[in-house]
Amino acid sequence: MSTGLRLAPTPVVGKSSRWLPRTRRWLVLYALMLPTLLSMGVFGYYPKLDVILKSAYRWTPGQVQEYVGAGNFLDAFSDPLFWQSFRVVMIMLVANLVKMWPGIIVAIALHRIASDRWRYRYQVMFVVPMVIPGMVWLLIWKSFYDPDFGILNRLLDVSGAMSVLAWLDGTDPDPGVMPRIATALRPVIDQAVTPAFGGVWALLVPGAVWLTLAGGSRESSRRWWGYGALVALVGAAPWMAGLALTGLPAALGMLSVLIGGLVVLSRTLGPGWIIWPFWVMLTLWASADVAWWRGAALLGGAVVVGELALRALPRLTGPDLLRWAGLSLVTVASLLVLFGLIWTEPTNQFVGGRPAWLGNQDLVLPAVIFWGFPWVGTIGVLIYLAGLQQISQDVYEAAELDGVGPVGKLFKIELPLIMTQVRINLIFMTIGTLTGYEMFLILLGDDGGPGNVGLVPGLYMYKSAFIDQRYGYACALGMVMFVIILLLTIVYQKYVKVEK
Amino acid sequence: MARRPPLAAELTKHGIVWFVLLFAFYPLLVMIVISFKTNAQYEANPWFFDPVSTWQWGNWSTAWVIVRTYIANSVVVSVTQMVLSMVMVVLTAYVLARHRFRGRNLVYYGIIASMFLPGTAATLVTVFWLVRNLGLVNNLMALIIVGGAGGQVVGIFILKQFIEDLPKELFESAQIDGAGHLRQVLSIVLPMSGPILATIAILDFLGSWNGVMLPLIVLRDDEKLTIPVGLLRLEGEYVKQWGELMAGYAIASVPLVIVFLFTMRWFVRGIAAGAIKG
Repeated sequence: MSTGLRLAPTPVVGKSSRWLPRTRRWLVLYALMLPTLLSMGVFGYYPKLDVILKSAYRWTPGQVQEYVGAGNFLDAFSDPLFWQSFRVVMIMLVANLVKMWPGIIVAIALHRIASDRWRYRYQVMFVVPMVIPGMVWLLIWKSFYDPDFGILNRLLDVSGAMSVLAWLDGTDPDPGVMPRIATALRPVIDQAVTPAFGGVWALLVPGAVWLTLAGGSRESSRRWWGYGALVALVGAAPWMAGLALTGLPAALGMLSVLIGGLVVLSRTLGPGWIIWPFWVMLTLWASADVAWWRGAALLGGAVVVGELALRALPRLTGPDLLRWAGLSLVTVASLLVLFGLIWTEPTNQFVGGRPAWLGNQDLVLPAVIFWGFPWVGTIGVLIYLAGLQQISQDVYEAAELDGVGPVGKLFKIELPLIMTQVRINLIFMTIGTLTGYEMFLILLGDDGGPGNVGLVPGLYMYKSAFIDQRYGYACALGMVMFVIILLLTIVYQKYVKVEK
Repeated sequence: MARRPPLAAELTKHGIVWFVLLFAFYPLLVMIVISFKTNAQYEANPWFFDPVSTWQWGNWSTAWVIVRTYIANSVVVSVTQMVLSMVMVVLTAYVLARHRFRGRNLVYYGIIASMFLPGTAATLVTVFWLVRNLGLVNNLMALIIVGGAGGQVVGIFILKQFIEDLPKELFESAQIDGAGHLRQVLSIVLPMSGPILATIAILDFLGSWNGVMLPLIVLRDDEKLTIPVGLLRLEGEYVKQWGELMAGYAIASVPLVIVFLFTMRWFVRGIAAGAIKG
């Protein structure tokens, strides 16, 4: 403390040599930051580096520690549970698109309320859910789902909704409405969706690569060389991965070749250095399969489609058109998922009037999706409100002069103007859905409920480490999640910056 | 809006908000109702309160005996972690905002980058092994240190921006008067950044108060559990006396509700600010 007081940069007449006071000043500043630096290093960065390192080992602490190279990742990509966990996430993400609407509507209603005092009161009330521990909400909802005790089944019985559900569900020889829709959609899903993409990864990776590449300069013709080299590298990846499996030195050599190639690529393709983690993942994914050319082909396809799209469409309409294409794709995919993947067979649970929501393979997902009805989160409402408050009064007055009604205002003013906030919130929800597993762990237990239906990636990681004792494998799963989150964060950064 | 809005429209808006609020708070009502009943009373009338004379106050006293250790643990952990990380936040934000020195950018971006790198979700396994190797398993200290290290990042980011916007002259005149680093922090930074500090502190506290995964894997003994994990264990262990369970949930919710009643304004503003900063 005393050194801190003495070392204000006033003493001009230093009798010691010139650099000494400067070094001491430097030391004092670092001393002040020492707790932060130390704690961040030990508890922030060390575990992250350790995850990367340990994901290359078959590791059960105290028993086995054996280098397996990319083996854990290869195992993961050929592990049906791994793919299933991402299917669950996909379903939850699609459900989020529906679940975000109540929050938006409430925020807009709240924003339009004329009385300042009431607006503040409501705002306070929407903060209360954050003050009650999340665990309390989870456990109360869990009790709602209890087949005999739970209030949900009683409510459904009393209101007669149970018979409606039973009608929708049907019975085994005579399926109801929902399973029939799913059966009708089955060919589309089996023959188009599943083989084309093989999993969520295949969708994400080319998109990520394309997105980062598109940030580079589009003018120079050198980029064609870059594209060529990239595709060739991905094509060669399986062999490189095979080589890397032979031992730690070979793995490090391959890694340096890989990084060197990527540095060169990033020079030719603009600020595309961010792609390296996706690139590695894509490589591993491609080499996990018999078809070694699949990764290269996918990547080449993504590049060509992107180039053609940018080439064929004029600058201004291009992004718009792409956005509409994206929106309609999302809509179609959502409908496919909601009606084609969730309620596929009669559950036979509603006839008896006591459906075990969390104990039946077919009911787990609907129950988890319904969880937290009406899905209005504090953070979401406050983010939307902040966005709405930036809309100037002039816009409303102009709209009123034009005779726009309250519903018209919703679609013409409020929704377009808070799109940025909606996007931010969607990204948060997406990251939360991908990484969060507390809810699944608490509602369904270690193994994700009956038939592992609710085994999301995070929960699978938890289970691998703390139940199955496969710590190295869990680290590999953690890396996969890490890469996905990084991807989403980049998307988030890009979009938010563009909007501002 | 300048003109007086029509009554019907105004009622619709209030109606929408009330509708959602009713549904959102229904679980809390159920919790309170059940906490006053035995299982048999609940079977007879699951919908609402029985007459006051038949209320089971015993549920609450039984639950209190169990839950109070959890509450004490949670208070200790959350308060200590908050103080610890506030000290680190203030010092580091001051140094980064007010001084140019070698390695400053490296330090700053190193801290900020960890905000965008996924935290405990992906690294839970290695964090657990680190904690184990440090001999901190089943020790509340682990929660405090790990939580404090992670909780400071957003705070440093927000506070550094804020200190940079403070007038330079304040600091310069203080330096001329011979004030050192700590004096400057104590008499300029702290008094001027009160509201923003409260915001950071609240976000940090909430994060620690609601944490589940770290306590779940680190803590073992029943008398060491924090509220979330304690309630979880309670729910799993017993032949379910729902009334006592629900009373336990209610009691566990009370401390923060009380704090909230006194600091409502900070809470609303702080959480909104936190939401916007991300």
